[in-house]
Amino acid sequence: MNTSMKSKRDTLNGVLFASPWILGFLTFVAYPLLASLYYSFCSYDAISPPHFIGLENYRIMLTQDSLFWKSLWNTLYMAVFGLPVSLAAALGIAILLNQRIRGIAIYRTIYFLPSITPVVASSVLWMWLLNPQVGLINTSLKGLGMTNPPDWLSDPAWAKPALILMGLWAVGGGMVIYLASLQDVPVSLLEAASLDGAGTWAKFRHVTVPSISPVILFNLIMGLIGTFQYFTQAYVMTNGGPQDATMFYALHLFNRAFQDFEMGYASAMAWFLFVITLICAIAVFRTSARWVYYAGESS
Amino acid sequence: MTLNTAAFRGGSKRITAASIIRLLMTHLVLIAIGLLFALPFYWLVSTALKPDSQIFAMPPVWIPHPVIWSNYPKALHYIPFALYTWNTVKICMYTVVGTVISCSLAAYSLARIPWRGRNLVFATLIVSMILPGQVTMIPTFAIFKWLGWIGTILPLTAPAFMGNAFYIFLLRQFFMTIPRELSEAARIDGCGEFAVYWRIVLPLAKPALVTVGLFTFIGSWNDFLGPLLYLNDERTYTLSMGLQRFVSQHGAEWAMLMAASTVMTLPIIVIFFLAQRTFIEGVTLTGIKG
Amino acid sequence: MLDTSKSVESVAHNKSSDGLSRLKVSRRAVISLAAASLTGCRRSSRRGPIEIVYWTGWSGHELDVQRNLVAKFNRTHPHIRVVMLSQFGNSGYEKVRIAFAGGSTPDVMSTVWADELAAYAMRDVLRPLDSYLKSSHRDVTKEYMPGIARMITIGGRVFGLTVSSSTNFIAFNRAIFEECGLDPDHPPVSIEQLDSAARKCTAYDSSGNFIRYGFRPADLSMWVYPFGGSWYDEQTGTITANSPQNVSALKWMASYAQQYNMRQMQAFSTTFGSSSTPNGPFYVGKTAMESTGEWERAFVKRYAPQLKWGWFSLPYPAGGRQRATTLDGSIFVIPAACKHPDEAWEFLNWMTSHDAVKTFCWSIKNVPPLLSVSRDPLFQSDPLFRFTIPIQQGPAAFGPPPLVTWTMLKSAIGRAEDSVMLGGEDPVRVLNRLQDESVRQLRRTMEELHP
Repeated sequence: MNTSMKSKRDTLNGVLFASPWILGFLTFVAYPLLASLYYSFCSYDAISPPHFIGLENYRIMLTQDSLFWKSLWNTLYMAVFGLPVSLAAALGIAILLNQRIRGIAIYRTIYFLPSITPVVASSVLWMWLLNPQVGLINTSLKGLGMTNPPDWLSDPAWAKPALILMGLWAVGGGMVIYLASLQDVPVSLLEAASLDGAGTWAKFRHVTVPSISPVILFNLIMGLIGTFQYFTQAYVMTNGGPQDATMFYALHLFNRAFQDFEMGYASAMAWFLFVITLICAIAVFRTSARWVYYAGESS
Repeated sequence: MTLNTAAFRGGSKRITAASIIRLLMTHLVLIAIGLLFALPFYWLVSTALKPDSQIFAMPPVWIPHPVIWSNYPKALHYIPFALYTWNTVKICMYTVVGTVISCSLAAYSLARIPWRGRNLVFATLIVSMILPGQVTMIPTFAIFKWLGWIGTILPLTAPAFMGNAFYIFLLRQFFMTIPRELSEAARIDGCGEFAVYWRIVLPLAKPALVTVGLFTFIGSWNDFLGPLLYLNDERTYTLSMGLQRFVSQHGAEWAMLMAASTVMTLPIIVIFFLAQRTFIEGVTLTGIKG
Repeated sequence: MLDTSKSVESVAHNKSSDGLSRLKVSRRAVISLAAASLTGCRRSSRRGPIEIVYWTGWSGHELDVQRNLVAKFNRTHPHIRVVMLSQFGNSGYEKVRIAFAGGSTPDVMSTVWADELAAYAMRDVLRPLDSYLKSSHRDVTKEYMPGIARMITIGGRVFGLTVSSSTNFIAFNRAIFEECGLDPDHPPVSIEQLDSAARKCTAYDSSGNFIRYGFRPADLSMWVYPFGGSWYDEQTGTITANSPQNVSALKWMASYAQQYNMRQMQAFSTTFGSSSTPNGPFYVGKTAMESTGEWERAFVKRYAPQLKWGWFSLPYPAGGRQRATTLDGSIFVIPAACKHPDEAWEFLNWMTSHDAVKTFCWSIKNVPPLLSVSRDPLFQSDPLFRFTIPIQQGPAAFGPPPLVTWTMLKSAIGRAEDSVMLGGEDPVRVLNRLQDESVRQLRRTMEELHP
């Protein structure tokens, strides 16, 4: 067969097969990306047409909106304190569930379920559990002898930890991905390590972690993106309170856009978020060269 | 405590006292942590069965007494539950079908067809996964407004037919693992590209497709922001919107809210339990390697 | 298909120039295609009654009453069919804002909160009702209580009508008053009396935790009125967030934060984000007084039927305002994009008529905003209404200021209040900052509206 004809046909087929996504990308990613960049230089209330005001939105955002900085701080708090905890918990549970024993399917289902529970339902449920007076959590803490358990969602200092705690309950998504990757850890390597006299921790540290490090990277990146977009829980449970302790970036952005009709300003916030996400992602990728091992690269 | 699977996977079958103790310990730990995970669910279900006085009782009442079943029918009447369920199912169906078709097509293109520009498209796809939804939210809203689609389910369903970067990535990884010889053989038999995709690759990719379908279903079933933005006729509302309606300015109808939440969560539990094996297999085989 | 393409045209009539509409893509083709394939066609018969869509924000019992009224209207007006859809719940009012932004509003809605009326009216998304009122021989200044009439008139034009209203007052527990040596027949009138009653009713356990507290002042946006303050001067068009009266109101509230553990008080009182649960502090005797409204009666009936309670109007300092209240509530409006404005008006006119308002307010036990209904023996025979109707009609009844940025200002007021009450910041500094920020915001928004 003629090679150039084949390559032409391949190109045609390739583009054709990918065309739904290419179309989707142009419509729902590329255009909105540019449009929101334009809106971010406009005052735009979604009702009247946008008009250009230059860098005004960015200036107000960076110099006058105290809630902007507060929400940024709250979001970074979740990324710095919440994310590592939940990544570690997901890995721990995945290891626990990576066993061939009777009833493992039931365990897996139970551990995974919270992550697929409708967020609205689980948010409501946790408002209940976290209630300072009659909630299950504080009742248990008091039962364990704690005299002054935290007020959780009504205390600015404890509201974010409360949401992190709730996030731990729903680590199933990351857990499943770890679980899948753990099943790919080469048994031969583990056995070889055992023969060399490595203990459980040493094997975990020097065999398991390196083998699954690409997946840790994947979960880290995905978790980072998810954290920057944290919205529904705060919207349903606290609406930003108490004292703006749970006013997260995405919530503030949503309020500016759809409560105050400040779509231009919200677009500026969105672009700022995009840049931050990009910087974080690049930073993570840069450091990842030092701790992520790809199979086949070396042994 | 054993932290590793190898002992069970490759280890001997001989039963010793030590291995029994280890097995017992493992179960104990799994059960203990499992209880922590299950307890909130128990609280959800049991609160839905309590009378008002016990919901707010201090100390908490563990076992509802008497059991109030009527919260369920009450909740199902408070909002048009059947209608909301049907609306949600409808949206889920469209998004699942749309996502699976469009993503597998694009993934096939990226994994199995050598064409110029493929690498560029793949790189773009990866970068677009990092893009926060907030950046595109407002212009996307404007697009749908321009199309006159606000208030219809189209903004929630139509984009699914245009693929999703994350799922395309998953499926591409999976398609890469299917031996080339299979499609070559089919081609020699005279199959076109689409026939190879449809008859060879798709059937082999069942676990991956189930995984993507399940993720899509769950995402769509639980979606809150989408319906919040785009649906405004209560006749098209979904369950996650419906749940919000038990909460009002002057407080919430807690028992009914819990009952409705239980009913909304149930299908997810059943579907996951049934698909559990294929699902884990799917995640494993897609081999997310970053 | 007919119906779909028609709605497309009306959307095109909206001012939705997002720059996109200049593109030469056939919008109609895209929509018809998608609509046909995904939603199917909606059929509409030309000869039947004209269908208008009405959004209501009421829920539960109140929704049932609305439903009956709508059914009655449909029975008596065969040429119109009103389809009522409810938008209640936490996100209900949010949805209304999004619907305006998205240009997909119904024909009539009662889901516009009084706080938002000015913002919508000044963005030209509501239909002014003056010509309809005139043709129906109605005059809001003669029909409605003066405060309400002011509230629904923005820039000299009427943009909405109301069917119910509620009053701010303080409910107190008679038994606790007696126990603490206070006369339940002569509840506090002045701020000093309120403070002393609150002190007397507060009780601690041995470790210093509240057993009961007297009163928790909350909602600065309301409390400035008894102190003689306000948020906006309509004559001069200026925001008055840091007026001396506003400062003294916040200072008074801050004095509670200095005397009592506010956080504990708040955790005590806002169980489940709201006090209206059976263990709400007022129903279980954990607070002696609570700032509330007419709805309290229904809650007491539901959660604490045995409770003996009374009421008094918001106390005021020397030189302040007697019997002050804020006015708010749901407002009936006709969106500018309404497809059948005449029919919408006919419905709205009927819903705000004497008989409909009387039925609605009596069923849900709200204050009727129509003067003729408030004079009705039905309402005059009720002790709570005899107490609140004069407050509603009085000179110290204030609707939200007609500010395009009012909702933003109001949430900023809430944050300012929190930073004083829970964060221990200085009231003067906080209000000065609030003033600066809100003036800037107002200027910015006005520039956007009239570039």
